[in-house]
Amino acid sequence: MDFSWEPEFLTFRDELAAFIREWRTPELLDEYRSNHGAVGPRIQAFQAAINEKGWSRMCWPEAYGGLGRNPLYQFMFVETMEYWGMPYGNLTYTSIAPAIMQHGSEEQKKEYLPGIFAGKIRFAIGYSEPNAGTDLAALRTRAIRVGDEWVINGQKIWTSLAEHATHLWLAARTDPDLPRHQGISLFIVPIDAKGVSIRPLIGFSGTRTNETFYDDVRIPAANLVGKLNGGWQIVMHALNHERVGLSPVSNLARLYDELVAHLAEKRPDALRDPVIRRRLAQAKVELFRQRALAVQNAFTIATGGIKPAEASMTKIHGSELRFTLSNLAMDLLGRYGALARDGGAPAPADGRFESTWRASPILRFGGGTNELQRTIIATRGLGMPR
Amino acid sequence: MNLELTETQSQIRNTLRELIEKEVPFARVRELEASGRSDEILWRRLVEQGWLGTPFASELGGGDGGLVEAGLLVEEVMRRAAIVPVAEVLACALAVLRSAPGERANALARDVIAGEVRPVPALLEASDRFGDVEAVVTAEGRLTGEKLFVDYAEFATHHLVAAREANEIGLFLVARGAGVECEPLRAIGRTPQSRVRYQSAPAERLTRAQGLSELVQISRALAAVQIVSCMQRSLEMTVAYTSVREQFGQAIGSFQAVQHHAANMATWVTSARFLAYEALFDLEQGTASEEQVAIAKAAASEKAPEVLMLGHQLHGGQGFIEENDLYFFTLRGRDRCLAWGGHEECLELVSRTVERKQDWLRASA
Repeated sequence: MDFSWEPEFLTFRDELAAFIREWRTPELLDEYRSNHGAVGPRIQAFQAAINEKGWSRMCWPEAYGGLGRNPLYQFMFVETMEYWGMPYGNLTYTSIAPAIMQHGSEEQKKEYLPGIFAGKIRFAIGYSEPNAGTDLAALRTRAIRVGDEWVINGQKIWTSLAEHATHLWLAARTDPDLPRHQGISLFIVPIDAKGVSIRPLIGFSGTRTNETFYDDVRIPAANLVGKLNGGWQIVMHALNHERVGLSPVSNLARLYDELVAHLAEKRPDALRDPVIRRRLAQAKVELFRQRALAVQNAFTIATGGIKPAEASMTKIHGSELRFTLSNLAMDLLGRYGALARDGGAPAPADGRFESTWRASPILRFGGGTNELQRTIIATRGLGMPR
Repeated sequence: MNLELTETQSQIRNTLRELIEKEVPFARVRELEASGRSDEILWRRLVEQGWLGTPFASELGGGDGGLVEAGLLVEEVMRRAAIVPVAEVLACALAVLRSAPGERANALARDVIAGEVRPVPALLEASDRFGDVEAVVTAEGRLTGEKLFVDYAEFATHHLVAAREANEIGLFLVARGAGVECEPLRAIGRTPQSRVRYQSAPAERLTRAQGLSELVQISRALAAVQIVSCMQRSLEMTVAYTSVREQFGQAIGSFQAVQHHAANMATWVTSARFLAYEALFDLEQGTASEEQVAIAKAAASEKAPEVLMLGHQLHGGQGFIEENDLYFFTLRGRDRCLAWGGHEECLELVSRTVERKQDWLRASA
């Protein structure tokens, strides 16, 4: 057993920190915050710079233009970006491009991958439907083959970033007579195809997502990805290394650091209070627990292990800690803790504690509900009977 | 970085596990609990087969292991709730070696490995605080004072006592015998412990103040491992039981509520295990701070009571009776939560450094 980081990971982290220092301007952060998840010009430039370094393809095989690196580099990358609150994330890179690499035809790889790498092609994911969330296999959006085309009818929900996307990555039912998981196929749908419409849904945390509707949308037969009726494998597929940065500790640690910094500057009397210090100590213990789970998970993945329970543990603990920390910060700050960013009075940490609190349900139900995750731990991790 | 056991470490774990399962029937553990005695049979076996040498250098007759290997030994012993002072004896010898290296420390280690000296720590006094040391050793080397919560005091051949001489704190080796009076204390853990009164007992200084600190750090990290071991056993037994126990026509382990409790238990065990062994590893490297070890102990001590309770909750009546083996781990585990700094005490330590700049991807600052 050896718990130390090899020097190359720490050196890489220094390189990342220097890179981030260059890019982390108030204007970039502002664009990220007011436009949460969207892609303004500064964010685009930042992501292009990351792409140029190859970091968006950290663990991809070199034959596919990746850096072919150990997933612990990916871990370092995610953690460092998360600590500094940088808009590095891009589902098109982390989910869609690997899926195209894995399941797409040579033509599809040629058609989409260069555009993705150049930042010109952006996908929104069309999986969930109003009646098919956790039970995704219940999806009903239908694709019917008519001559040289597929005709799609149906509806998707939580189609985030559709308003900025060039394409949709759509799961549709192609054979209702097969068992539920087996009659699903994956399609690429241009966002501007006739019959596609988008309706915004605003979450109470200020984040936007969408409903999307498909009215006799016609796409070429070549837009089927992978095997007909083989879509479920693609939906479920996530390269192991994508799970490495699944539930970081660093963004949570940053909340802690910001809280302590705020108290030190604005409420030094509170920071001297033994009761408050005790609460902060408890939070520190929780953060160490999260680090333990995140590193354990990353290490297992990096060494080719498959322990789904570890990823689930990390996800559950991280999402609940996000709530606990933002909750603690708000409690310790009293009425100040409730102030919103543009609330008319100086909000602690720019209102980040209350906005994080509002956003905290998302990770508790998103990415696989915490109930599902606990079931995975019990059944796939502990071998309990189903 | 390698979070898996090396081949040698795996061998240590597997061989010792086999030995203890063979040598220690739970029936004997029950008898020893009732009589308040230690497991002399197991101890003899451990000495004979050289197990005590595991964390010591080969020049001393040891196995060239370190604190991580000590943790593995301690974990395996606790998996059987065995009543032997492996953690206590190893911690004493290792603390002396690390804080006061030299011929005397080497000799102590050799004696421990050979089974001739069995030292246990005697640190706490009435205040139950590690820093409070009133026990005094005279210029002639005579110790007078009282120590509480001395685990395995009567099975030990010597006590390693925290005391002052010429107002300088240190660890003093005191042989059981004249001037040493042990009075048994009974506690939830059902392992032997004593109040000990020293009256002009001959005492040999082995270390200065650093030895006390070293002994507390090592013992604290080993106690975290013991707690993890108890939680692990509770979880294993709970998964096994709920997988076979049927009610309403199905195994109760298939009910979601039961599964979710088990998932929570597993998450707490996994994170506590990582932090405990990381603390041992970093102590071995010399990079562990007092805060880090306190966090590892706090992480284990905080959740263990709940894990152990959930084990009983999910076992129902069957897990509650002493005929069955679940209770061993509940009692040992709860006791070890309080030994070497409980949750509250460790949080108090951590609260001293809440604003210290932390590298969040490592245990160090």
